[in-house]
Amino acid sequence: MPKEIRILGIETSCDETAASIVKNGKEIMSNVVNSQIRVHQQFGGVVPEVASRKHIQNIVMVVHTAFAEAGMSYDDIDAVAVTNRPGLIGALLVGVSFAKSFAYALNKPLIAVNHLYGHIYANFLEHDNIEFPLVCLVVSGGHTSLLFMQDIENYEVIGETLDDAAGEAFDKVARFLGLGYPGGPAVERAAEKGVKGRYQLPRVFLDRDDFDFSFSGLKTAAMNLWTKMERRGEANVYDMAAEFQAALVEVLAVKTARAAEKYKARSILLAGGVAANSELRRAAQIEADRLGIKLYYPSLKLCTDNAAMIAGSAYHKFINGQFASLDLNAYATMSML
Amino acid sequence: MELIITSAEDMEKLGRKLASVLKEGDVAYLIGELGAGKTTLVRGIAKGLGYEGKVTSPTFTLMNIYEGIMPVFHFDFYRLDEDADFEDLGLDDYVGKGGVTLIEWPRLQSGFLPAEALFINIEILDGDYDRGRKVRFTAKGEKYRQKIKELKEIAASGN
Repeated sequence: MPKEIRILGIETSCDETAASIVKNGKEIMSNVVNSQIRVHQQFGGVVPEVASRKHIQNIVMVVHTAFAEAGMSYDDIDAVAVTNRPGLIGALLVGVSFAKSFAYALNKPLIAVNHLYGHIYANFLEHDNIEFPLVCLVVSGGHTSLLFMQDIENYEVIGETLDDAAGEAFDKVARFLGLGYPGGPAVERAAEKGVKGRYQLPRVFLDRDDFDFSFSGLKTAAMNLWTKMERRGEANVYDMAAEFQAALVEVLAVKTARAAEKYKARSILLAGGVAANSELRRAAQIEADRLGIKLYYPSLKLCTDNAAMIAGSAYHKFINGQFASLDLNAYATMSML
Repeated sequence: MELIITSAEDMEKLGRKLASVLKEGDVAYLIGELGAGKTTLVRGIAKGLGYEGKVTSPTFTLMNIYEGIMPVFHFDFYRLDEDADFEDLGLDDYVGKGGVTLIEWPRLQSGFLPAEALFINIEILDGDYDRGRKVRFTAKGEKYRQKIKELKEIAASGN
């Protein structure tokens, strides 16, 4: 086995076409993301085309750029890793098909990576000596899950959203309030100018002792309250943004802390696009300090969808020889994490 | 056909009743504002078709599949607009085939989806989310008109 393992990672589970080369599960040689956010903004948060064709158009260029930025040739890599679940099936298949062909042509092993595991792993790319066991909150536009990790290879989902993902609630409420897209940063900016508590929104599921979430009701409550305040001429969008963000963040932070307590975790990890929210980071830090354990979250660039987290997380599978066969398929669902 | 629904529980119950008249290949469009209860109705339908897992919003993934006594294809095109390339979504593989297709935010102007379908409009009464919902069923196509008749009978019998 060569001393240095270089893995090409490919990620196409939703809107982003991404490729990255990571050395030894740690050192990012290149990290290319073809984001469509700017396109989305032009359309007021409406995706003009999220279909697989965009990925097909982008993937060769993105992979080529990943090699160029790393200053490497195709033969310099030791394996090809790809997200094969969960996500939009047509989008996933572009990445999986490309990765299979690429691995076959280069005669390199293929590694399948779960997108959520990739998000968690983003923390390990940037932080050393993260102590196990840990709980990780993966929170994004499409996911809101709490995971318990005994070690780097063994993990289980201990709670998840029963309806809308947290990032989805941010997006929908932001659009309803006319704050723009993407909703997370838009609400966060507006909230800075407002005061939480002037409006009152529910902390949904905080009274339950499980680790599941529900944000559909919070979304509806926010829209309901906003409609009423507008009718009375008392609507203040900044105060509403502040309260909505506070209600959402409090539930995420408190439930994560409860999970950390119950599972005797020594670290708390945040991951996914909503982990970029500074209010969530602040609230989680308070909880971690109270429990006397460490909090970790990735830098902004590694919070959102990227392929470095895929290439990085494949390292341990490479070491363990956990390779996928060339009949690897893509799956829309989470299960078999 | 119109019904007034006053709670999320009743919306789910309505979904279960609706499930009993749905067959493989059927297509229903769910139309209503954010927070109207579209996903709640889908949850009821999926449960009525024997699915026991979670029904979550497919806004981000565009599609969820629930495997009950027959598959339920739950689409949500909230993130798409009328000009989106629906053909690339691979809808052909699902819509009207081998399961029940339920579509939130169907973007009907795209002209890509079947014209014949069950149309379910959910209206928030007086624009007040605390109030009830008016659920209106309309049909395009004889098959779906027949389903509304069946649904009326089930609703009337209170089962």
